[in-house]
Amino acid sequence: MEATIEVRGLRKRFGATVAVDDLSFTVEPGQVTGFVGPNGAGKSTTMRMILGLDRPERGTALIGGRRYRELRSPLREIGAMLDASAIHPGRRARNHLLWMAHANGLPASRVDEVIDLVGLSSAARRPAGGYSLGMCQRLGIAAALLGDPPVLMLDEPVNGLDPEGIRWIRGLLRSLAAEGRAVLISSHLMSELEGSADHLLVIGRGRLVADTAVRELLSAASGDRVEVRTDERREAMAVLTDAGATVAVTEGDALVVSGLTAAAIVEILTGKGVAFRGIAEHRATLEEAYMDLTRDAVEFRALAGEAS
Amino acid sequence: MTVTAYRSHVEVRRAAFGRLVRAEWTKFATVPRWMITVTAAILLSVLLSGLVAAGAGENTSNDGGGPPVSADPLQPFQDRGHFVSQRRSGDVDVITRVDSQTGGGDWAKAGLMIRGGSETGAPYAAIVVTPGHGVVLRSGTDVDIAGSDGAAPTWLRLTRSGDKVTALESADGVSWTGVGTVELGGLGDDVLAGLFVAAPDEVVVTRQFGTEAISGNTAYTTATFDNVTLTGGATSDWTEREHPSGPAVQDDTTGFTVAGGVYTVTGSGDLGPDLFSPDSTRMVLNTVLVGLCATIALAVLFITSEYRRGMIRTTFLVSPSRGRVLLAKATVIGGVGFAAGLLSALGSLLAAKAMPGGLPLPDLFAWPVVRATLGSGVLVAAAAVFALALGSLIRRSAVAIAVALLALLVPQVAASGLPLDVANWMERLSPAAGFAVQQTVPRYDVAIGPEAGIAVLCAYAAIATGFALWSLKRRDA
Repeated sequence: MEATIEVRGLRKRFGATVAVDDLSFTVEPGQVTGFVGPNGAGKSTTMRMILGLDRPERGTALIGGRRYRELRSPLREIGAMLDASAIHPGRRARNHLLWMAHANGLPASRVDEVIDLVGLSSAARRPAGGYSLGMCQRLGIAAALLGDPPVLMLDEPVNGLDPEGIRWIRGLLRSLAAEGRAVLISSHLMSELEGSADHLLVIGRGRLVADTAVRELLSAASGDRVEVRTDERREAMAVLTDAGATVAVTEGDALVVSGLTAAAIVEILTGKGVAFRGIAEHRATLEEAYMDLTRDAVEFRALAGEAS
Repeated sequence: MTVTAYRSHVEVRRAAFGRLVRAEWTKFATVPRWMITVTAAILLSVLLSGLVAAGAGENTSNDGGGPPVSADPLQPFQDRGHFVSQRRSGDVDVITRVDSQTGGGDWAKAGLMIRGGSETGAPYAAIVVTPGHGVVLRSGTDVDIAGSDGAAPTWLRLTRSGDKVTALESADGVSWTGVGTVELGGLGDDVLAGLFVAAPDEVVVTRQFGTEAISGNTAYTTATFDNVTLTGGATSDWTEREHPSGPAVQDDTTGFTVAGGVYTVTGSGDLGPDLFSPDSTRMVLNTVLVGLCATIALAVLFITSEYRRGMIRTTFLVSPSRGRVLLAKATVIGGVGFAAGLLSALGSLLAAKAMPGGLPLPDLFAWPVVRATLGSGVLVAAAAVFALALGSLIRRSAVAIAVALLALLVPQVAASGLPLDVANWMERLSPAAGFAVQQTVPRYDVAIGPEAGIAVLCAYAAIATGFALWSLKRRDA
C-alpha cells in the first residue's frame, strides 16, 4: 500500500453553503504537508470526508488507494486526530486507548507504548475529564499513533500546546515523516507551520488556492531580493538603479534591491565608492509568502463583497 | 521524490465482531459512574422488594377471614360453595334431578360432587348445571368440560370406580349421556358424595390511574334437588361443608333443608379459577422497574454521550462499519440489561421470601416463576436495546430517555385509568406488553400472554434498531 491521501473532485454542501468545492490534492509520503486556511475554509469538512464520517456530494477520497470504509483495521492504515477533547470525562486516558485497541485487534501493550511516546505515563490512569487542552492533544496524538499507521492526519495539533509542547510536536512530526509516513496537519495560522511543514495546501472558501513545496514558495516570495544597509541611501539608490536594478526603501537605513545578485551589488557599490554596512539576501517569512499567495483571493473576495 | 512507503509494525488479529463487542464493553465498564448506577439499581430493587413484601403482608392480614383459597399460589382457585354430602366407601353412584335454580347469576352452579375430603384442595369432581352456560364438569384446577347447553331442570349423575369418576347427564333420567371421566389421584376408599351449590361473587372492579379496587358482593344461589339416590358403601348422615364467600356466614341466607324428598340447598362462593387473586410474584418483580429505568438511561447515554462530545467520530474512525458498531453496542447494553434484570428479579424474590410474615410466594423453581425471573432479564435487555436505538436516532440524551421511558411506562399507568377493553389493546400493542412476561397467575386483567408480550417488546426493539441502522448509514456522523 502506498502511504498517501488522494482527494479527487471533492464537494460538500451544508444546506445552501458550499463548504468544499471541487477539491483535489495528493498528500505524499515522507514529508509533512500543511493544510492551511482561515477558520471555516473547509479544512475539517475535508478531513471528515477523507475519514468517511461525512458523505461527500461528489468526488472521492482514498487512503493508500482505498476508501476509508473499506479499511478493515483502519488504525493500522491511518491515524487521525479531529477533536482532541472528544473524550468521555469519566474514563481514564489509558482505557480510552484500550477500547480503541480492542476494536482494531491491537495488543494492549501498544497502548502503553504510545502513552510513553507522548509523555502521558504519569497521567494515564487519571480520568480524562481533568486533562488540560495540551494533555488532550497528547492523548489525541497517542490515539492517532496507536496502530503505527503510515498515514497521519491531525486537525490543529499545535492548538493549546505550550512552547515546549510545540517544539516537541514539531520534532515528532518531522521524525514520523522521515520514517516514510505521509503526514497531513491542518492549521488556520501559517506561522504555526513554520519550521514543520515541507509542503503546503492552502484552502480558501472550500477551494484549493495553492499546492506547493514550502521551499519553492519561500524563494518565490523572497524573489531575488537583497537587503542593503547603508548610510548613503541616495547615492546607493542612484548607482544601483543605473545598473538596472529596482530599489525600494523600507525602514530607516535599509534598501531592498531586486534584479541584481548580492555579489553584483557588492561589486557595484565598492566600485563607485558607496559605503555600506551590511548586505544580505532577503528571506520572506512563511506568513509573508502566505499573504502574497492569498492577496489575489482576498482582493477577489473584497470585490465580490462590494459587488453584492 | 522517492520514499520507501512506511508500513505499520503492529500486529493485528483477524477482524471479527467479537473484538467490537469487547471494545464496546471496555467503553461501558471504564466509566465508573455507569457501573455504579447499574449496581445501585440492582441493590435498590432488592431493597424495595423487601418493603413490598412486608407491606403487602400487613395489608392482607386484615383482609377477610375466609379459608385459604387454594394450596398453589400459582393457580389461584376457589374451592368454596355449599356441599351437602354423605361419607361413602368403595364405588359410589350418585344421581339427582336438579329441579330449579334461582339467583347467583349466569354462572351459579347446582349439581353433584364427589371429593376426597372436606379440606381445601382435596381431589374432587363436580358436575353442575348453570343458568347461562349449560352443564359443566369441573375437577382439580384445570379440568373444565362442557356438557349440553340446557339449564335446570335436568338430571345429573356421578359414578366413582376406583380413582375414576364419570359424569353423566340426562333429560329424563333414563337415557344418560357421558360428559366426561376424570381420574382423581389420591382418592382414598372413603369419599364424600352429595349435592353442591356455588355462585361467584358479583365483582366490581374500580380502576383509577395507578390503582385498582376490587370489591366482591356475595351472591347467593338456591337450588332444589329431587330424585336423590346415593348407592354404594356404608351410609353416614348428611354433613355440610360450607365455604361461603366473604368472612361471615349468614345463617338466614344459607342453608339446607329436606322436605318430602326435595332437598333445598342455598350457598355462596365459587368453584373455579380465581381471576381476582393477587399475583404476588409479579408484585415483587415490580421492583425490577428500578433497574429498568436506570438501564434505559444508561443505554441512551451509551450512544448519546458519544454524540454530545463528538466521540462518535472516534468510534466510527476506529470501526468504519457503523452498523456493526451499533450491533456491538446493542449486544453489550442488552447483556448489561439482562444481567441487571435477572439479578434484580432473583434478588427481589429471595429478599421477599426471606421477609418474615410477608407475602405468600410460590416455589421459585416453578416454571411460571422461573419464566418471570428469566423474563425480567429479557425485559430489561429488550428495553435497553430499544432505548439504545432511540438514542441513536434522536442523538440527544434527555429527549431519547424521555421517549423511551414514556413508551414503556405510560401505557402501564394509563391502562389503569382506561376501560378494560381499551387498556388491554394498549397493553398488547405498546412496548409495555413486555411487562406481561412477569405474570405468573392468570387474572381477569391479563391483556397478553407472557411469551407473546415479551415478543412484542422485542419486536419494538428490533424495528427501532432497524431504523437506527438505516439512519446511521445515511446521516453524517
